[in-house]
Amino acid sequence: MIELEVNGQRYELEAQVGRSLADVLRDDLGLIGTKVACGEGHCGACTVQLDGVPVLSCITLVHTVGPRRVTTIEGLRDHPLVDAFVAADALQCGFCTPGQIVTASALVAANPSPSKDEIRHAMAGNLCRCGTYPKIEEAISSWQG
Amino acid sequence: MARLIKTEKEVEGRYTEQWIVVDEDALDQWPEGPLEVVGREVPRIDGHDRARGLAGYTADVRLPGLLQAAVLRSPHARARVKSIDLSPALAADGVRAAVGPDDIEGLTDEPAYMGAAVAAVAADTFGAARAAIDLIDVEWEELEPLLDPDEAVKQGSLLDESVTYERGDFERGLAEADAVVEAEYRTQVVLHNSLETHQSIAHWEDGGLTIYISTQYIWGVRAAVAKQTGLPEDKVRVICLAMGGGFGSKNSPGDYTPIAIELAKRTGQPVRCALTRREENVAAGNRNATIQRITAAARADGTLTALGGEFVNAIGFSGWSSSTEGPMQMLYACENMRTVKHSAKLNLPPMAAFRAPGFVEGTFGLECLLDELAAKLDIDPLELRRRNYADSDRMDERPFSSKQLAECYRRAEPHWQRRNEVRASSSGPWKRGVGLASQIWYGGGGPPSYAWVRVGSNGHAQVVTAMQDIGTGSRTAMAQIAAEELGIPVDHVHVSLGDSARGPYATLSAGSSTIPSMGPATRSAAADAKRQILEIAAQRFNLEERVLDLKGGKIVSADGGAWELTEITGLLEDAQILGNGARGPNPTGMRVLTFGVQVAEVAVDVETGEVRVDKIVAIHDVGRVINALGASSQVEGGIIQGLGHTLSEERLVDPHTGRVLTQSLDAYKLPTIADVPEIVTDLVDVPDPHLTNLGAKGLGEPPIIPVAAAVANAIRDATGADVRSLPISREEMLKALREAEAKKRVPVGTASS
Amino acid sequence: MELLRPSSLEEATAALGNGSRALVGGTELVPLVRDGLVQADTLVDVRDLIPRGIDGSRIGAGTTLAELEVEPQIPEALREACRLAASPQLRNMGSVGGNLLQSTRCWYWRLKYPCYLHGGDVCHAKAGEHREHAIFGNERCASAHPSDVAAALVALGASMRTTSRELPVADLYRLPTDDNRDVAPLEPGELILDLDVPTPDSSVYLKAMERQRYAFPLVGVAAARTAGTTRIALAGVAPIPWLLASPEALDEATPLPRTAYKVDIARALVRRALEAL
Repeated sequence: MIELEVNGQRYELEAQVGRSLADVLRDDLGLIGTKVACGEGHCGACTVQLDGVPVLSCITLVHTVGPRRVTTIEGLRDHPLVDAFVAADALQCGFCTPGQIVTASALVAANPSPSKDEIRHAMAGNLCRCGTYPKIEEAISSWQG
Repeated sequence: MARLIKTEKEVEGRYTEQWIVVDEDALDQWPEGPLEVVGREVPRIDGHDRARGLAGYTADVRLPGLLQAAVLRSPHARARVKSIDLSPALAADGVRAAVGPDDIEGLTDEPAYMGAAVAAVAADTFGAARAAIDLIDVEWEELEPLLDPDEAVKQGSLLDESVTYERGDFERGLAEADAVVEAEYRTQVVLHNSLETHQSIAHWEDGGLTIYISTQYIWGVRAAVAKQTGLPEDKVRVICLAMGGGFGSKNSPGDYTPIAIELAKRTGQPVRCALTRREENVAAGNRNATIQRITAAARADGTLTALGGEFVNAIGFSGWSSSTEGPMQMLYACENMRTVKHSAKLNLPPMAAFRAPGFVEGTFGLECLLDELAAKLDIDPLELRRRNYADSDRMDERPFSSKQLAECYRRAEPHWQRRNEVRASSSGPWKRGVGLASQIWYGGGGPPSYAWVRVGSNGHAQVVTAMQDIGTGSRTAMAQIAAEELGIPVDHVHVSLGDSARGPYATLSAGSSTIPSMGPATRSAAADAKRQILEIAAQRFNLEERVLDLKGGKIVSADGGAWELTEITGLLEDAQILGNGARGPNPTGMRVLTFGVQVAEVAVDVETGEVRVDKIVAIHDVGRVINALGASSQVEGGIIQGLGHTLSEERLVDPHTGRVLTQSLDAYKLPTIADVPEIVTDLVDVPDPHLTNLGAKGLGEPPIIPVAAAVANAIRDATGADVRSLPISREEMLKALREAEAKKRVPVGTASS
Repeated sequence: MELLRPSSLEEATAALGNGSRALVGGTELVPLVRDGLVQADTLVDVRDLIPRGIDGSRIGAGTTLAELEVEPQIPEALREACRLAASPQLRNMGSVGGNLLQSTRCWYWRLKYPCYLHGGDVCHAKAGEHREHAIFGNERCASAHPSDVAAALVALGASMRTTSRELPVADLYRLPTDDNRDVAPLEPGELILDLDVPTPDSSVYLKAMERQRYAFPLVGVAAARTAGTTRIALAGVAPIPWLLASPEALDEATPLPRTAYKVDIARALVRRALEAL
């Protein structure tokens, strides 16, 4: 039995050792906003926050999360970045977008007005195959309205 | 009135003739320029759902009793399965069924490329299925793979017959020339890497079969599945509500759908068959490599006297042979032409369409060669292109339905004029330069495509059509078109799509065809609904129908009367106005194409081979623009994919075994946000007067086409080095610089040609 | 598989050994275990046990790369190597100690070809695709060591303390031999605890990669000058971080047909690094 705190809610669940946090979020908790696109830590689609820090949930073993607070896109649905992403058209197919917003929300929490270079440095681990990058940069630059 | 016609249908440059039923397209086009909703910047209407992780992708579909499949794929490029024993897999924990080469057509015991599907199992979890795959006992007989495209051509291992195209007299054209350039250009294999991998779920229910699938063509999947299973088409339901990217690779059911169907049949439970990222990069299709041995010849004034060459498409074991020679044949008014295309069939994973297949590759060769010619003639590259402007289609002398390429060139001028300034900003090892390349492509769409628009008592509208939005924003475009026609705000329009059981036939989303095919059908359906509303209003208000119109959410009359739309629709309570719309035919005897030009500014570190693209200006003519915001996103996305193709992406294969080495995204390098240049989008936005009730063409593919050539031409401008092979890695760049240096050292008078 | 979360280093070292592996950030180990490249039936989570943070010249081996990339107290070469390594999420997860132990990105090794590094007889890369591979120390195995951070620490003359010894970081690495294919051999149960990084007068890290961010080094050049002595170490050019005796030592490179360009890049970056010092 392991305990997880996800988006402020506590869960107790059984999970086999070796399972990833991403799989448990999606399959056991039904939090399907977290996407798995590569499953091996290379693309950033599965990004969630642990104690506010963006990590890759597909290569995080659920048993190693411990007391760290998990934040997924479901916990960020009302974040102003969501509106900023939509207004800037910073999404196309949208499969990478939840992960982009999870990473971006940690960035702006630490640095509300990041420079272009800071945005590019902080967002370089979230791949987008549709190429929404210019609009993501715009959304993060303008998220405060 | 419905009309039966025979029309020419084009998808990605492949034409077929077919009978279709269309409605008379009686609507006049809207006036040029941005309207109330159409042509404006409209954020996508499903944006919040996608951003919040609420959109239901195939990957997110959960069904009771859903099993997971895993596939045994050949590790060998060419082999024979001497024996296969599925029983250890069947005996494993959680495994419910297993199928092998004898069971369905999609599984083979003679794999001819690495990744060919040989067997599959369904289990309670993907982990259990994967583990069971490893238990399958296979005895392989490895065979020698054929991997070299030139060797394949020599041996006659061809996917299609070689195609020779000639017009005029190529040899005479060469003889008349003052300058001739010849070169060999090469392009690499690139991988689509949609973030949602190829996958489907098969569910036998209600005496039929439901397929959830990440697809670009709901109706194509329906037809293919009906054929495979022998079910009547109306017993097959195909659903794709949200879709995580395709770029051309998701036009068919693939091997995973028949596998899921068979395993679901055997287990009596729904089965998901989803490719892993590594399977995706082996078995989900690719943009094939090409070799282009090409020649351009011109008189001293720049008039092209001959274009020609040999094009080898290195296709893999299946797929189709795209038109790598197309840009050469179509872009310029050159009278003498001879192209030969060979379609090498290799023991490598199959090709699948990838965003403007053929034209991306062929434009790289052609537009770079043209700059080599311009240098030899000492003519400005933009001027050289203008001097060879084609006023009609040179393939069969048809007029263009519209062509604004001259306007694109005019708009490119100020960006092109920056090159002295940009060159002068070179400093130390960083050399800077500017290059340009033109774009030509299809993108006119076509019938058949249908939509319904229903207007409820609250005056809100719903567009219903069984198309798919693959991420391009076509859902939003349909809402805009319906809103414009009905004179209501765009947020009063809901779009229901993605389900073959809930809407009429819609086109595939490939070949830049969704908007030019579906947009006119949607407008026509909205116009039908509008006509009905005005008919009723005329009776209700005792006015003539012709004095009434819908504007700003109101019914207005020519004499200044205005009534809320709900005064009419509200009369009907829960009943609805139902409009029916069809895509009209394409203009007969005309060639419908898209055009454009891109100007790239680059910087090259000549000591380390680093290439940085600083800026790309993209000027395209795609007829009327529906959503200015979504359109700029399409342009940026195409350019960024093009930059990956140009600079960092390459599928590598072991030269001895034919196994794919770049299966994961650490080895296969997609662009990141840090690699993106400044991108300036400038769309001419003039409706094609001959094309449908909208005058809109497609924009999905054009922007990726000229990127590689524009960048390579800018590199030549910056450094004098000819880059003739993609991607322009550090290795390639340094090699080209070394060759340029060596060429400079050859004493004058001894240089060949 | 089993996962242990011991409460002390003693417990941890006792639990390590045959069939078990220590886990900190997991960015390297988790994928390797899943792919069967590392055999482990027990994972020992030591994330809370390995020292973390900075105390003078001492850096806890559990400190993440993300923490180091913004740390003003550490030498520039190390900070820059951390900043240009991996992706933001991986830097948030991965520890500096773990980074030193990462395996090569050689595709043949990662795809489990029975290559020299896996205990076989041949290097498949040498006769195959090797454009990202080695220009030094590549006689038996042409893999390239991917750690930016290791090159920086070697150039800085850093040392490390483990649960059983202290040693220069450079001495952790050895080219694979017929007897031992492991390029960074630790003793069973041995854990890296912290690093001691002397403060140079000046240091720099320059990296050539195929993207602006988030790629392993084609060539990484770390250089550090202390009291008139300059040390240069390279990443991505040999199966281990490569200490370059002098800029002229680049003349002794043994590139493969498709890695000669790396020598050109290394020459330019070494010259630039020395100028920057």
